[in-house]
Amino acid sequence: MSAFDYVRAGSIEEAVALLGDPQWVSQPLAGGTDVMVQARHGPVHFQRLVDVSRIPEMKVIARHGDEIYIGAAVTYTEIMESRLLQETATCLVEAARLVGGPAIANAGTLGGNVGNAAACADGTPPLVCLDAVAHVRNLAGQHAVPVAELITGPHQTALQRGDLITHFTFPVAPAGARSVFLKLGRRNAQAISRLSVAAAGALGGNGRITFARLAPGSALSRLRRFTEVETMLIGEEPHQALFEAAGAQASHVMELATGRRWSTEYKEIALHGLVARALRAIFLNPEN
Amino acid sequence: MWIEMTLNGKPVAVEAPPDISLLDLLRDYLNLTGTKEGCAVGECGACAVIMDGRLVNSCMVLAPQAHGSEVITIEGVHGPDGGPNDLQQNFIEYGAVQCGICIPGMIMAGEALLMHNPNPSRQEIRMGLAGNLCRCTGYQQIVDAIEATAKGRQKG
Repeated sequence: MSAFDYVRAGSIEEAVALLGDPQWVSQPLAGGTDVMVQARHGPVHFQRLVDVSRIPEMKVIARHGDEIYIGAAVTYTEIMESRLLQETATCLVEAARLVGGPAIANAGTLGGNVGNAAACADGTPPLVCLDAVAHVRNLAGQHAVPVAELITGPHQTALQRGDLITHFTFPVAPAGARSVFLKLGRRNAQAISRLSVAAAGALGGNGRITFARLAPGSALSRLRRFTEVETMLIGEEPHQALFEAAGAQASHVMELATGRRWSTEYKEIALHGLVARALRAIFLNPEN
Repeated sequence: MWIEMTLNGKPVAVEAPPDISLLDLLRDYLNLTGTKEGCAVGECGACAVIMDGRLVNSCMVLAPQAHGSEVITIEGVHGPDGGPNDLQQNFIEYGAVQCGICIPGMIMAGEALLMHNPNPSRQEIRMGLAGNLCRCTGYQQIVDAIEATAKGRQKG
């Protein structure tokens, strides 16, 4: 007797019909990097896995006007190899490079990273930084939810049974904008994030900051942009003291949200440093 | 359910339950025991195989996901005479093999790297092996063996 059944979907319509079939408790399967670990540690809450990893529409990376479109079954390797994303979403490409070794990057998908919603996920801070929206399909239709609202906590999302994330979209950042992803792990490769920062920014013609985005990962129980830090950067000239103040502010925001926890002594210093380093890389040192 | 794939260049069809991993399919249903189980949760790379041209951990692939795919395991990597190929020979010559359990995965990761990047730097070799753990060698000899193989293949 098998613990669960498997069915492969050839299209989004087929996947939605399979996931919405009330006779089965179904769950989407893509790269397997989370689901297979759950299945190993069992018992599992699903009766059937619906394989969405080969659905052609879910493998697309494209630009539509001022919007970038990434299919939910796109793997980290495909993100890394995409010239379009290298140019328009550097922070996401850098996160994809750091997510794990080649075998993990070849399998894991962006939709899976969001759906699994681990607090230490590397794909999610860049999506929140870029103001990405998740597009969700089910038997009732289609709706769009900002990634920052879809993920409601560690391993918690607003997804309901029968929902399928089909793709993500985000607006192309202003001309001249740069973005970075920095991560602290226990080693350089195949490490789980202890803390990460996705950040983006651009300077106006007068040399002052006109665009700033900051989304730390593994910092709060719920992922969000640190607008309290972004607003203090807008209109300022980029310099080291400003970045240090931004780092201190980011740590302050984190502590207000989480209270002082056992890990705060480490995380406040680490987040301060990561934020300052990310801003320096964006605004002062384009080669870094 | 029936799973059909091209395995080490040959078509195979095997009946297996839908809830097992590709690793278990290979070892328990196809008797290809060269692919090793280490951690079984995607951290060690001992079970790595090449599926449709990409390195994957076979413990993280559900067996029916391989249906219709082209899979290469360590049994499919050998020289023309059936003995070790150049990469495997270099693992021996450079002392890259001690206890041996990580080696099938290391060879698959090395072959996958050289398929996509025939002339990798030492840093790129290290990144190519980032998902493969070895508790014996300290990795230097493994990197040396892959580097020597890349150079040998460049010369033709």
